[in-house]
Amino acid sequence: MVLPTLAVVLAAAGCGSLIGPPYEPPAPAQTVRPPATPAPQTTAPSQTPQSPLPAPAPAPPPAPREHRLGAAATALVEQARKQAAGGDPQLAQATLERALRIEPDNPLLWIMLGEAHESTGQYALAGSMGHKALQLATGDPRAQAQAWRLIGDSLRARGRNPEANAAYSRADTLAAP
Amino acid sequence: MKLLRRLLIPVLLLAAAGGAVATVYVLRLSQTVVHQFEGRRWTLPAQVYAAPLELYAGLPLSEKDVESELKRLAYRRTDTPQSAEPKTGTYRRIGARIDVGLRAARFADQARPAELLAITTSEGAITDLRDALGREVPIVRLDPLLIGSIFPIHGEDRIVVTPDEVPPLLPAALKAVEDRNFDTNRGIDVLGILRALWVDIRAGEWQQGGSTLTQQLVRSYFLSPQRTASRKIREAIMAVALDEHFSKADLMNAYINEIHLGQDGNRAIHGFGLAAEFYFGKPLSELDLDEIATLVAIVRGPSYYDPRRHPSRVLKRRNLVLDEMVEQHVIPESDARLAQAQPLGITSKTAGAYYPAYLDLVRRTLRRDYPEQDLTEAGLEVFTNLDPRVQADAEHVLDRELARLDRVHKQRVPGAPLEGAVVVTAPQSGDVIAVVGGRDAGYDGFDRALDGRRQIGSLVKPFIYLAALESGRYNATSIIQDQPVSIRVAGGKLWQPENFTRENYGPVPLVRALAESLNDATVNLGMDIGLESVGHSLERFGLDRAPPQNPSLLLGTVELTPLEVAQLYGGLANGGFRTTLRAVRAVLSADGKPLKAFPVEVDAVAQADPVYEVDSMLEQVIERGTGRPALGVLPRGLIVAGKTGTSSDLRDSWFAGFSGDDLAVVWVGYDDDRVAGFTGETGALPVWSHLMADIAMSSWNVPLPDTLQSVTIDYATGFRANAACSSDLVTLPVPPGTNPPLKPGCPTTAFGAVIGSVHELMQRAGQWLQSMAH
Repeated sequence: MVLPTLAVVLAAAGCGSLIGPPYEPPAPAQTVRPPATPAPQTTAPSQTPQSPLPAPAPAPPPAPREHRLGAAATALVEQARKQAAGGDPQLAQATLERALRIEPDNPLLWIMLGEAHESTGQYALAGSMGHKALQLATGDPRAQAQAWRLIGDSLRARGRNPEANAAYSRADTLAAP
Repeated sequence: MKLLRRLLIPVLLLAAAGGAVATVYVLRLSQTVVHQFEGRRWTLPAQVYAAPLELYAGLPLSEKDVESELKRLAYRRTDTPQSAEPKTGTYRRIGARIDVGLRAARFADQARPAELLAITTSEGAITDLRDALGREVPIVRLDPLLIGSIFPIHGEDRIVVTPDEVPPLLPAALKAVEDRNFDTNRGIDVLGILRALWVDIRAGEWQQGGSTLTQQLVRSYFLSPQRTASRKIREAIMAVALDEHFSKADLMNAYINEIHLGQDGNRAIHGFGLAAEFYFGKPLSELDLDEIATLVAIVRGPSYYDPRRHPSRVLKRRNLVLDEMVEQHVIPESDARLAQAQPLGITSKTAGAYYPAYLDLVRRTLRRDYPEQDLTEAGLEVFTNLDPRVQADAEHVLDRELARLDRVHKQRVPGAPLEGAVVVTAPQSGDVIAVVGGRDAGYDGFDRALDGRRQIGSLVKPFIYLAALESGRYNATSIIQDQPVSIRVAGGKLWQPENFTRENYGPVPLVRALAESLNDATVNLGMDIGLESVGHSLERFGLDRAPPQNPSLLLGTVELTPLEVAQLYGGLANGGFRTTLRAVRAVLSADGKPLKAFPVEVDAVAQADPVYEVDSMLEQVIERGTGRPALGVLPRGLIVAGKTGTSSDLRDSWFAGFSGDDLAVVWVGYDDDRVAGFTGETGALPVWSHLMADIAMSSWNVPLPDTLQSVTIDYATGFRANAACSSDLVTLPVPPGTNPPLKPGCPTTAFGAVIGSVHELMQRAGQWLQSMAH
């Protein structure tokens, strides 16, 4: 009894692939792409576009995606902090840009650079960087909250208070545990 | 007697007048020359540097790669024992460790003295960086590569060196050979002139020119190279004046920076600083005795003694120089013998870094802010975003692939080579990291990357699809009609474009129409969305002129340069954020003061979600569509996205695409706009995929936004499906609530789900077996 049923099952399964598409792809395509679950953000620095590719690692399994800075970016961020504190915001910005070249997908760096631009009065640019950080911070509420706060600050500095408040409340919602 | 007396006074007066005139003349000439020499010094062209290579633990550079980068910067390998430190400008390998004597460097944001660095690599990546005291260094930059200079129209180029950058043997050699009494003479050497005359009369060959270094300096700096008697007199007067007013050290330094030492096309090489780079690829301070002697040999006549055209002649003179140095007790004989045994050691001209296409872009950028004179004379230091590795690779790949296409191409016309252009950027920051203007990258001519305006063909399509998605009426799974198009255009004619395959496929999902670049489906979509929307989308992404408002826009009859295409696609690669493309990072004055910075700027020009959907569809161009051949070249697992572009009649072949970190645009075609016969897939794509395979370091893997959801459809028909009823599934991001109809005959019961799982399992097993076979 089991065998015929199995045969029927397998035959039914096989039938499904007989319905061919009207257009055949040029080569026998067999790539069934795995479902696009949110690919986790790597916490290691992504490499700079400055060397040949050995083999990129496949996407790691889904995990809580709290962004962190790699060792090189951390050192640069520290340097930038000192430079900003020393009264040289342009230099701090240049140092943060160095860090961004190493980890362009790290929202924390975009937030920091945005904050640096805020300190020199470039509010629109700071806000744009906040939005950029937001785009990269999917799945990381802490980073998203920071981004919204930056966006809020930039809006308020430009006199757009209702929008600023909306941004702040989004930040608060995300930051709340 | 009386006559004499009558003539005496007028003659005396005349003599006095003549003497007065002469004195005035001499005084004025002296004043002018001193004033000019003091005030102006010399014109300093802007020096242009590539982006410095940042080293840090985790960077995937193998030991071999690190060594290549050091060699690119003209570091020499030595075998100093472990007890000693490597000299500045050298490195040594000890096992998996490379010890480098890093040169002092000036960057856009700081200057750094020379220091030691120990680089350890393992399995293709840097694992450790330590300084001279053994402390860990988290990140360090190599000195930036000098890639050229912006020199004035009359073509003088130089690198100014300060006295402490000049090896002491150089002035010693110059004095020994050119002006033995330099330290004591008064600017001219009368005995020397006489001696030279005597020697010249006797031998007709050189031995001593008779001119002092000061005279040579005057000649080079002030006067044209005419050899008339009056010039000689002026030269003598001016030399004496200079010697009177300036120290010997000053004059020597001026000489070292001024003297003409070579010619490179329309670029005149002046000064030993640039000559050291030009002939030996090294800073002047790192030259060895034999190399110094070679440069001193060239002084006598840079074209007669051109070491690349007349190497044996130069070698002979170099050894003569060394002999002279021994005779004048400048160096011991043993040193001279050693030096004489060395080969000339001149680098090939192309070994040095000279990227005219990129320099062109830099020049254009700076001309907006600086008058020509400042650019070419003020000694500006220009720091750029050029990545020399990517640049070298792009040049090499373009040349190689075009040669291959030449061989393959049946309609090849002799004398009319197939040409191409490449632009590479880092879309997240807007850095322009490589520009290749043509097949012969070193040729400073027509720059196709910046000026080659060609029809972009299907490259326009992603912007049509973006406009469609932004309208809210379409998503990646929407069904559109790939049916024949017939539109009446201005002039009453009928426009009836066809698909490349000349077939129509009826109802197809949006993703398929884009991936396979179906013209008719796209035109139907575009006409529904409206040309204005499409044009608006192009403008937002950086098109700086009004797009044509006729339907042919939908098939890309707009003409753009590769750089402009890179600007447009940058916004797609960057998730809807436009960044201005920048070749220049910062400009400093000659003494290191920051003058201008070009910071990273982003500007949201489109909502993130529709752009994400378009990017996902562009990924399918590679996975399933016209970009599929790239998969055979790219490393397995690297996810990229892009679009082929073919203009009508196959005149232009394009590919524009991106990974996680790089965007590259490639154009292939003929300069005279004849039919090239290549589609984007057969012409530009091979160049693009080989380049990407070399340089791309991360996949395009932006996470699915919270505001979108995934849906799995049958690629061919667009129906929602699962493995039980489709062998070609694709999962795409769509707005929430998007629910394509289920494919007819697709089981949805639990039983069906089980079948689906079993089927999927079997498919996966099949794939695994297949991959084992590779």
